[in-house]
Amino acid sequence: MIIVIGAGPAGLAAAEAASRNGSDIALIDSAPRAGGQYWRNRGAVKGYRSERADRLFAKVSRAESITHISEATVWSIEKDGEIFRVNYLQGGAESSLTAERLIIATGAYDRSLPFPGWDQPGSMTPGAAQAVLKGHGVLVGKKIIVAGTGPFLLPVATGLADSGAEIVGLYEANNPMRWLLSLHALLLNPSKFAELAYYAKQLKKYRITPRFNRAVSSFSGGVATVSRLGSGFRFKQNKSETFSVDVVSVGWGFLPDVTLGGIVGCDQKVDTDGTTVFSVTTNQRSSVDNIWIAGEATGIGGADLSLIEGEIAGLSASGQKVSLANKWNRFRKEIFANALKRSYPIQDGWQSWPQGSTTICRCEEVRLSEIRESVSELGAEDSRTAKLFTRAGMGLCQGRVCSRNVSEIVAGLTGCTVSDSERIVSSNRPIASPISLGLLGDGKK
Amino acid sequence: MSEKITFTFNGEVVTCESGQSVAAALIAAVNRELRRTRFENEPRSMFCGIGICYDCVVVIDGVANQRSCLVEAKEGMKVVSAP
Repeated sequence: MIIVIGAGPAGLAAAEAASRNGSDIALIDSAPRAGGQYWRNRGAVKGYRSERADRLFAKVSRAESITHISEATVWSIEKDGEIFRVNYLQGGAESSLTAERLIIATGAYDRSLPFPGWDQPGSMTPGAAQAVLKGHGVLVGKKIIVAGTGPFLLPVATGLADSGAEIVGLYEANNPMRWLLSLHALLLNPSKFAELAYYAKQLKKYRITPRFNRAVSSFSGGVATVSRLGSGFRFKQNKSETFSVDVVSVGWGFLPDVTLGGIVGCDQKVDTDGTTVFSVTTNQRSSVDNIWIAGEATGIGGADLSLIEGEIAGLSASGQKVSLANKWNRFRKEIFANALKRSYPIQDGWQSWPQGSTTICRCEEVRLSEIRESVSELGAEDSRTAKLFTRAGMGLCQGRVCSRNVSEIVAGLTGCTVSDSERIVSSNRPIASPISLGLLGDGKK
Repeated sequence: MSEKITFTFNGEVVTCESGQSVAAALIAAVNRELRRTRFENEPRSMFCGIGICYDCVVVIDGVANQRSCLVEAKEGMKVVSAP
């Protein structure tokens, strides 16, 4: 038996590939339907090359050896000799499932950076705007600004426009000329030209003109200020425009969800974009025997890379041959993923965006001024101490939203860089999802 | 997906399609503010939409800290902002 955790592109591809030789597979996911955060299956997937998703859904639901366990949130994994016990919550009850082999494909979530008003209602991640639209058929507002960095802004802006929203502006913080550094990645992945042409056509259709080197500098009472970015992401003085909008949807790339693999001790490293990811072999094997990891948790790369990583993990975990063509495909897509990281970097100047009164930790309502004081008045020399003084990162989200930002702010204030070990520690959590003590006490173990 | 259901949010009746999350239903009904924060009494709404940030937590049928972006709205549910 193989348990696949996560039913996004990587998990679905892994389950499908592993089922080709009839291996028994349990596919566990927290959503009601397969698809993950990007595909968001609500009966049908809309968007670029969505038929690829539909084909995979059909194969997975046809495969008799795959059991899909939906609406199940995995909160921990235990290793008992050669057996893994995956503990999950489903419909308010705790259950578990055991297997000899695991494939972890837990994906990623939007990275957010603080700016004045980012905690106001109406400010949300692009992932949120897309999830509510694709998953629930609800438009988050009529007049929307989409901003931040990375290619994900394109499907979000065009998807919202397609459903009737007015895209007041689409602002990319980086300059497209950065792609000149990565022409080889485009040449190795010619299909990306077709994808770019598709989005160019969509943007034209909805009369959206993307503008570069700009970011949302504040949002308050339905008014968004968009400012020009200078060197290192610092805002230029007197180069701002204001717009009246319902929603600002701002995202700064993605953070991999490494919690579950971290709980079972899979080795991690820091990627070139500063994210914590798992170290895996070319067959997607983790450092722990009989655990394979695929998709965003091994490095942010998008659905294309996740699909091939998932396929390789599924083939390898079920004892099938991983072909040279599979490996070449993964190599090409990895080159492209690295080009994305080079083309859409997040530069340290963002630390000048929040004001003293701006919330940094949303859960514990910690303002930038308190973090500054913990360093200047209380003598915190590292982010761990600053977090203990201020409670930043200690709320319900367990620091998923602010932890990395706090580390980088404290490093900026103390004139240090964030060490790899600190990045890894602050990306991990002891449990993957809060569980009540009552449920924990009723456990069958 | 077309079946209509109703629930209450802070006593007000909200109608939505079955299968929608509580947060999606409330945003569709132009109820953007889901709660006020504990310390500063600041308004908050859905932020990440995928269950990561816990900003959209509400009390559902007496159970606190429920992420309204993940919980599917059900007929007769009583949803209230955290006190």
